[in-house]
Amino acid sequence: MRRSWDLLYLLTFRELKLRYQDTIFGFLWSLIRPLLQGAVMFVVLRKFIRINVEDYHLVLLAGLFPWTWFQTSLLLAVGSFAGNGALIKKVYFPRFVLPLATVLNNGVQYTLSIPVLVILLVIGGYSPNWTWLVGIPYLLVVEAVMIMGIVLLIASLDVYFRDLEHLTDVFVGLIWFYLTPVIYPLSIVPEKYHDWVLLNPMASLIEGWRNLFLHNQLPGADMAPALIFAAGIAALGSFSFSKMQGGFADAL
Amino acid sequence: MPSDIGGDIAIQFDNVSKHYSLALQKEATDIKSMLLHLPRFFSNARRPFVALDQVDLRVRRGESLGIIGPNGSGKSTTLRVMSGITPPTSGKVTINGRVSAMLELGSGFHPQITGRENAILNAVLLGLTLREARDVLPQIIEFSELGDFIDQPMRTYSSGMFFRLGFSVAVHVQPEVLLIDEVLAVGDAQFQSKCMDHIHRLRANGVTMVLVTHDMLNLPKFCDRGILIEHGKITDEGKPAEVVHNYLSRVEALLALRPEEQQQLKVAQVAI
Repeated sequence: MRRSWDLLYLLTFRELKLRYQDTIFGFLWSLIRPLLQGAVMFVVLRKFIRINVEDYHLVLLAGLFPWTWFQTSLLLAVGSFAGNGALIKKVYFPRFVLPLATVLNNGVQYTLSIPVLVILLVIGGYSPNWTWLVGIPYLLVVEAVMIMGIVLLIASLDVYFRDLEHLTDVFVGLIWFYLTPVIYPLSIVPEKYHDWVLLNPMASLIEGWRNLFLHNQLPGADMAPALIFAAGIAALGSFSFSKMQGGFADAL
Repeated sequence: MPSDIGGDIAIQFDNVSKHYSLALQKEATDIKSMLLHLPRFFSNARRPFVALDQVDLRVRRGESLGIIGPNGSGKSTTLRVMSGITPPTSGKVTINGRVSAMLELGSGFHPQITGRENAILNAVLLGLTLREARDVLPQIIEFSELGDFIDQPMRTYSSGMFFRLGFSVAVHVQPEVLLIDEVLAVGDAQFQSKCMDHIHRLRANGVTMVLVTHDMLNLPKFCDRGILIEHGKITDEGKPAEVVHNYLSRVEALLALRPEEQQQLKVAQVAI
């Protein structure tokens, strides 16, 4: 157990280090990408399409940052067993650390980008609130558990069905992203669709982050879909991983 | 791993089998041909391959066992099942003690980070905690003779340096059971003899060893007992020199029509 934690820690920071090694901007790239994406969406949606939302740039970034953690983790972790066949076939170690290290590494990057969001919030006239001290760790844990459950499931399945890498890319980037209130707040969705939108666990999670930063609102009963899904997928992910992992070395 | 075996047994195989299913060649590799041959594509025909066939084996604590046999006979599968990398299809495997498997040196080394960082990660992969890995790091570095290179990214290493570090890590993770697959010929002659000395030292310290090798000369030097595996079964067992001799004699008979190879084998046998 001790060793699994150590391995997770070492792999998480090795990935962080590798990603920025020999780059000029280093960690800044983790901020540049979502900020740039946010800026483009702001111009297109706010200036061109004229979406009518107050402080739209903050609404956008408060959703886009945590979404980026989710999407990047899934895309990078789905192949973490299939892509490490050489290691899995030659060394026996707790394999679950491979996808989880990717999730943690991206979680660290998201956490480090929160101060940037806070600075923008302060510039926009919002002030930090005590609820953040409770809300941020709470939502970090919910999102981490959710992502870890999903990646354990899809990374295990990916060993046997490589199509999952493409499927994840298409499903998360093209479908899930637009059906989740990331580039728009739930409030502008017509009332009659709310129940449907909120069936999506990521919707309540992203709205949870947004309500925390923009309205100092602690997540309450409205987080239920995310909590239930996180618990369920974590159980399903660990179960399917433990069932399938024995065959990894033979299948790769 | 739960165990109900005596304290003097390190590894026990009870009726262990390992089957692989090899996919038959599917002609359909793209959508068009897949659609044209739907029944065949979904029939999922597979050919079973028996890598280990109801093997019973015991290795005593502190014993050193050598495994020989032709290519594809199940030697490496035996080590992989022992190390836990792959579970047996049937039967029971019991291991007492911490296992370190040297199936390949430097698995998981990343070329972009330094030898020092790779050594730590590799040691933890092989079974140490981070604290233990940091404690043993100075010995690993000293043994590897890498000097200042230890703080260079590993892409700058020669292959000899790469394997020297891999070997150093593998023998310093304080295994109770050490599994070695054909990885003893590392580095130059001087480093090789140092590796051999270290293996002997581990043996003297009571580390249980299982060694797979094609190097018949080494078997009697390193092992208390030898086994021959053919077609997934143990077909001979006994004193290492005898097992090697019997095996080579049979191979020689097979090669009876090829004098030059016979000559080579004779040389090998004389050396034993």
